[in-house]
Amino acid sequence: MLRNVRELYQYRVLLLSLTQRELKARYRASVLGFLWTFLNPTLLMLAYVLVFGIFMKAQMRHYVFFLFVGLLPWVFFSTSLSSGASAISDRRDLLTKVRFPAQVLPATVVATNLINYLLSLPLMFVLGAILGEWPTWHAVVFPAILTLQILFTLALSYMISALNVVFRDLQYIVANLLTLWFFVTPILYATSTIPEAFRKVLVLSNPMAILITSYQAIFYYHQLPRILPLALVTAVSLGLLWLSAWIFERRREEFAELV
Amino acid sequence: MDAIIIRNATKRFRKNVIPRTHSTLKSEFVKWLRGQKRPASESWIEALRGVDLTIPQGKTVGIIGRNGAGKSTLLKLITGIYAPSSGTVVVNGKVSALLELGAGFHPDFSGRENILINSIILGRSRSEVRARMSEIIEFSELGDFIEQPVRTYSSGMYTRLAFSVATHVDPDILIIDEILAVGDEHFFRKSRAKMEEFKRAGKTIVLVTHGLSTVEEWCEQAAWIDDGKIRQVGNPREVVSEYVRTVALAEQQQALPSPPTGPVTQGTDPSPVSSGALPSPLLDSRIRIEGVRFINGGGQEAVSIDTEGSLDICIDYVAPKPFGDLGFQVSVMKAGGIEVFTTDTFLDSVLSPQSLPATGTVKLRMMRIGLIEGTYFVEVVARSQRGEAYGRPPGRYSFQVHSSIRDRGVTRPPHQWSVEPRRGPS
Repeated sequence: MLRNVRELYQYRVLLLSLTQRELKARYRASVLGFLWTFLNPTLLMLAYVLVFGIFMKAQMRHYVFFLFVGLLPWVFFSTSLSSGASAISDRRDLLTKVRFPAQVLPATVVATNLINYLLSLPLMFVLGAILGEWPTWHAVVFPAILTLQILFTLALSYMISALNVVFRDLQYIVANLLTLWFFVTPILYATSTIPEAFRKVLVLSNPMAILITSYQAIFYYHQLPRILPLALVTAVSLGLLWLSAWIFERRREEFAELV
Repeated sequence: MDAIIIRNATKRFRKNVIPRTHSTLKSEFVKWLRGQKRPASESWIEALRGVDLTIPQGKTVGIIGRNGAGKSTLLKLITGIYAPSSGTVVVNGKVSALLELGAGFHPDFSGRENILINSIILGRSRSEVRARMSEIIEFSELGDFIEQPVRTYSSGMYTRLAFSVATHVDPDILIIDEILAVGDEHFFRKSRAKMEEFKRAGKTIVLVTHGLSTVEEWCEQAAWIDDGKIRQVGNPREVVSEYVRTVALAEQQQALPSPPTGPVTQGTDPSPVSSGALPSPLLDSRIRIEGVRFINGGGQEAVSIDTEGSLDICIDYVAPKPFGDLGFQVSVMKAGGIEVFTTDTFLDSVLSPQSLPATGTVKLRMMRIGLIEGTYFVEVVARSQRGEAYGRPPGRYSFQVHSSIRDRGVTRPPHQWSVEPRRGPS
């Protein structure tokens, strides 16, 4: 794992350039260009607000803001995973022609989506300000939660992208699982709406639920997140990262032949 | 110091990788995770089987071989894209490889942006690339196109960009896979000059090519790969001529109907034949052709002759009792069975059989070959005037004509161009 991280560091310039390229490429030919970074989550959020806030009349203070707090990190996570799945298997052009540290590829996807997430944050704060939800001092733990999410996302992306080289079905499985995962994660609803009996199990067994509720804690409820579940996520992420690095290490030499 | 040391390297590919790449079975998945070996019954393709090759630093090495011999796989091992299945590959120095056109070029980005990304992939830092950017652009001769997305480029422009990037990242070892042929004459010369510069700077160049004259003229060492193994390494001229001979032999054996022989019974063949040579058909015991040799203008045996040079085709025969009605016929053929030239001693009425020494050499001198570059086969037969064959030499013979002039066709007759004024109707 250390070797993996070291290599990633060695190739940080490449990672940076590729990320830059991805960001530029994403909306290159489109008229609105970079605005899509903001428009995408806004439109998605508007749809949810319409259904859950207006049609179903969610009984929550500033439901729009609540949605935003959970939805943005989720979009970061799910896009990283769904486009990260084919990060290696789609780059035949690179892998078979140049010696290339494959771990840069999923890392690039995660980095690109991270930047998109960070860029959409001002939108959230502006919305909060309009509604009167000013960030409190609790927001200082935000970088810690974000770091955890990056670790977790990176670990999963590594693993899925490596496995997807051999089992291409995985990218479709992942896309479908993400939809289910979205609904079992308290993004559209508060944890308090989950029946008491399942609440603990549902939240604690789902690292994304822990992360999302932590975001909600600092931005929406203005309190500190609970430490123990976050420690659990840390352990899970590090474990996953180690496992992914192990898979990578074992199989990276086959990537060029299999893609 | 050696730049590249390859020891007993093999590379195998799973055969089922080609028709059905991706299995979704869980058991396969678990096996893959654990890195378990597949059952031995599974078929493998051995692209390289035990390659030993040492490339000294600062040498220019040409790798030749037929399609599918393993040249590209070898290059991918050297560049580290593939890992050897067994054996070791040690590379001392930074490698820049030009294996295929536009490796990693993003079609939507401009040439300039792609130069940046590609150079970084090849191990440069941003500032280094920025510093050399104008030099690279200038070398590529893309001009204003450098700001256009590379998807709009022609293949020639692609080549130029790729070559410019690969040669401007200061590699210690440059690996090039015959794509240079895509460029036009002008860029070809320019890239040659660039590589010449590399040579002078003491860098190692590994070149895979089908251009044998390139290897002969330009490389200091040649390695011939055949069927995943190194067949011969050494002096380019020697390796190339041996290669040409072998390929010509194989081609001719394919092109000609196999000689009428009895049913082949393995193991009980009464006349075991040394490999490579065909049995000498003994048609008449009175004469036997022992072999054919080619002598160049310098009086040395050669299989590679310049268009303008002379060639002696020497037929060594043994005829214990010379007899009348004996002549020799020589045919020069091109691949595909095209007859270039056939003559015999009857037509030229040169031989009086009675005066033949019992053991001798019949020599046909072509004062000037005048053939265009390529491989030519020679067929020799001792025959009667009516055409009954008495004897043929064992094996097949071929020679290679090389020329710095790239004209097409078959022959290059002595010629001259001139311009004269003409008095036309007023």
